[in-house]
Amino acid sequence: MSSKRINKELADLGRDPPSSCSAGPVGDDLYHWQASIMGPADSPYAGGVFFLSIHFPTDYPFKPPKIAFTTKIYHPNINGNGNICLDILKDQWSPALTISKVLLSICSLLTDANPDDPLVPEIAHIYKSDRAKYEATAKEWTKKYAV
Amino acid sequence: MSDSITINIKSSGDSKYEVTISPSQTVLELKNEVAAKADVPADRQRLIYSGKVLKDNEVISTYKIQSGHTVHLVKSAAAKPAPATSSTTSTSTPSATTTTSGNNGVPSNISSGSGAFNPLADLTGARYAGYTQLPSASMFGPDGGMNNAMPDPEQMSQMMSNPMFQESMNSLLSNPQMLDYMIQQSPQLRAMGPQAREMLQSPFFRQMLSNPDMMRSMMQMSGGLGGAGAPPSFPAPGSNPTVGENDSTTEGTNTPAANPFASMFGGQGAGGAGGFPPIDPFALFGGQGGNTPVETDNRPPEERYESQLSQLNDMGFFDFDRNVAALRRSGGNVQGAVEYLLSE
Repeated sequence: MSSKRINKELADLGRDPPSSCSAGPVGDDLYHWQASIMGPADSPYAGGVFFLSIHFPTDYPFKPPKIAFTTKIYHPNINGNGNICLDILKDQWSPALTISKVLLSICSLLTDANPDDPLVPEIAHIYKSDRAKYEATAKEWTKKYAV
Repeated sequence: MSDSITINIKSSGDSKYEVTISPSQTVLELKNEVAAKADVPADRQRLIYSGKVLKDNEVISTYKIQSGHTVHLVKSAAAKPAPATSSTTSTSTPSATTTTSGNNGVPSNISSGSGAFNPLADLTGARYAGYTQLPSASMFGPDGGMNNAMPDPEQMSQMMSNPMFQESMNSLLSNPQMLDYMIQQSPQLRAMGPQAREMLQSPFFRQMLSNPDMMRSMMQMSGGLGGAGAPPSFPAPGSNPTVGENDSTTEGTNTPAANPFASMFGGQGAGGAGGFPPIDPFALFGGQGGNTPVETDNRPPEERYESQLSQLNDMGFFDFDRNVAALRRSGGNVQGAVEYLLSE
């Protein structure tokens, strides 16, 4: 069941991927993918390419996929291990969502961080109190790790 | 595979290019092709497909890019690291990336995850090729054994004593995946927890299946009780000497019914209405254990499948007629219906 759905998503992604993301299996294991997100132009992550790992549970799409950044990124909702604080990856998951939609949500999270529900409180604090400093640091990290 | 393929190149600035290239060419050659169209020098291109950065010296076929598929183009800084500037695209080499093990193809043998795993499929597989003694379809009746008629006891015990059948039974029962599947399929077994697995794996249990005498006597008892319309088609193991060894798993008469076989052929479990745990090997062939009347539901589909239909809607399947058809096929099982809808 889950493999059929994953194969369908894979075919859709190959044919018509979103403009800023791409994803596919790492090797022969259909349940382990990697994805890349191009930093949105209107964000401090512009110009960077960020890689993520995706693990599908066997009961996908009834359970959300596990997605984490493998590229370091400076963001209030993404921690040092690459874990992402995003509701649709947790309690707001719906089987109607796809990897493509989730990656687009992560893209928009890069443009619009959610400092009120932070995963890294220090970054959220800087984001709220000194936006310029946050953007400079995010750019710095992007240059260092994602270009 | 020397036919050339057409690849769409999508660049960050919303521009799109089409490149025709042979899969046996290298990524660097593809980049040169792209450079001619996109005005980005090859050494400043990063091509990304399927979440991977394409490496210059790899052959395009390594990445299994298919014709009509899209490759992303990202402009990066020149390979020579420059002193840090405020520009967003600068410094560092473009090749710092993750693995490129290459084989991002889809495995042809799709079977992983409990949902997809169907051990019974084995029965039609090569492992059992040449095994002609499988019970004939007629034995199960027109609806796959869901009717009340029990198979002929003689025929049954003949089959059960057939060494070939015993062997395949044994191999099924000793396959941990099979056990998982059975346990998962049957609510009663699931409720029993680890004990269910223990019981299924016990040699006694298998012996019980392979002993024709035992089968015959059980068959007779089952027939008698079932005919009388008593809810438990078979006495509780605790009170029956022939299955006494299972006491440990089913002690206390109100424990959930342990009917591992009902699950094998898709039954609902034997009628456990009495709260007695009937161990009913015949449910293996009879689905409902031969004593539960088959209910026919004549309500209209939108009523009968109300909750399933709303679940399907939530998942993005909006075609009412197709949803109903899928649910009919799957017997109201949402997961089965989704599988059917996706496979169309």
